Amino acid sequence: MNLYPDNLENLPVTDQIVARCRMGDARAFHDLYHAYSKAMYNICLRMTGHSADAEDVLQEAFVQIFKNLDKLATDSSLTAWVKRIVVNHCLSYLRKKKVYFEEVEDQEWKSEDGVDENEHMLTVATVKEAIGQLPAGYRTVLNLYIFEDYSHREIAGLLNISESTVKTQYMRAKERVRQIVHLKSKRI
Amino acid sequence: MNLEEFIRQNRSGFEEEGPGPDVWARLEKQLPQPRKEKGRVVQMMAKHWWKAAILVALLVNAGLLLKYMNTRQEVAVVIPEIQEMESYYSARIEQKMDELKQLPAATAGLDSLTLKELELRNDTYKMLEKELAANPGNERIRAAMIRYYQMKLELLDRILDEHNKYSNDSPSTQKDVL
Repeated sequence: MNLYPDNLENLPVTDQIVARCRMGDARAFHDLYHAYSKAMYNICLRMTGHSADAEDVLQEAFVQIFKNLDKLATDSSLTAWVKRIVVNHCLSYLRKKKVYFEEVEDQEWKSEDGVDENEHMLTVATVKEAIGQLPAGYRTVLNLYIFEDYSHREIAGLLNISESTVKTQYMRAKERVRQIVHLKSKRI
Repeated sequence: MNLEEFIRQNRSGFEEEGPGPDVWARLEKQLPQPRKEKGRVVQMMAKHWWKAAILVALLVNAGLLLKYMNTRQEVAVVIPEIQEMESYYSARIEQKMDELKQLPAATAGLDSLTLKELELRNDTYKMLEKELAANPGNERIRAAMIRYYQMKLELLDRILDEHNKYSNDSPSTQKDVL
């Protein structure tokens, strides 16, 4: 499944859209928005956890994207650039919500032995719900790594924390998801 | 199966629908305004290209004058009342230059080099003056000076005419007329 309009990247149409946007062509802004809005909205939704907030963040991000198209170097990836702006807006939203990415783990979620990774327990709905229940800091790290395909190093840069903290937080985030899914399947 | 694999394999299941139409509706009101710089530059070039040609004409003319004066042939043409002619042209050129300087630099579209060449007492003039002082009463040099005055005056007239024409064509003026 093609989540991002990467097919735009290597086609002249991308340049055309960008060039037309730079000329102030309203139709080009519309096309650019619609090429990316779904994928970028999903990032916002995963990162904020609220549809109304996700829409607000998406709108703010696109205002900046439209305004800064001039600064996009011709040889850089439009998709990566758009995505980075959207992710940065999500992160400032989270910072405004006082989410601290370097927080240390609370003890009550100490790793349990015996949580097996039985694939039958994993469903899209339960995993989604479990991720939704994660503390915002963990959820952010997990989302950036699994869904947005950023490396631990890149995430460290984005969140301004050390790479080892990212790795630790990511392991703990995964652990919690497993535990939540496990608890849910036991309840069922 | 671990979590990463599960999510990657079921990635599309995790995707929600896109944003509501409100987002675009709000964005549309915040679109950057079309930039007109390029259009303006093209317009300026179309409007002022001939002014660049003036500079070339004046420089070529100065060059030709030099060549002309260096020839040893006597010129038979004798211009009567030469002093009056000179003062007439000087006054006219100075008056036109003053008029030209009243125009805002941007609307006149002349660069500093062209303006300098149009000035009455510029380097070419000084060169002719020097020649004249060295050869008092030389009609050939006087004739060259007059020719130089005439050409300068014609160009100044042309610049001012063009400027007035474009000023009258501008939408704001049309509005005023209507």
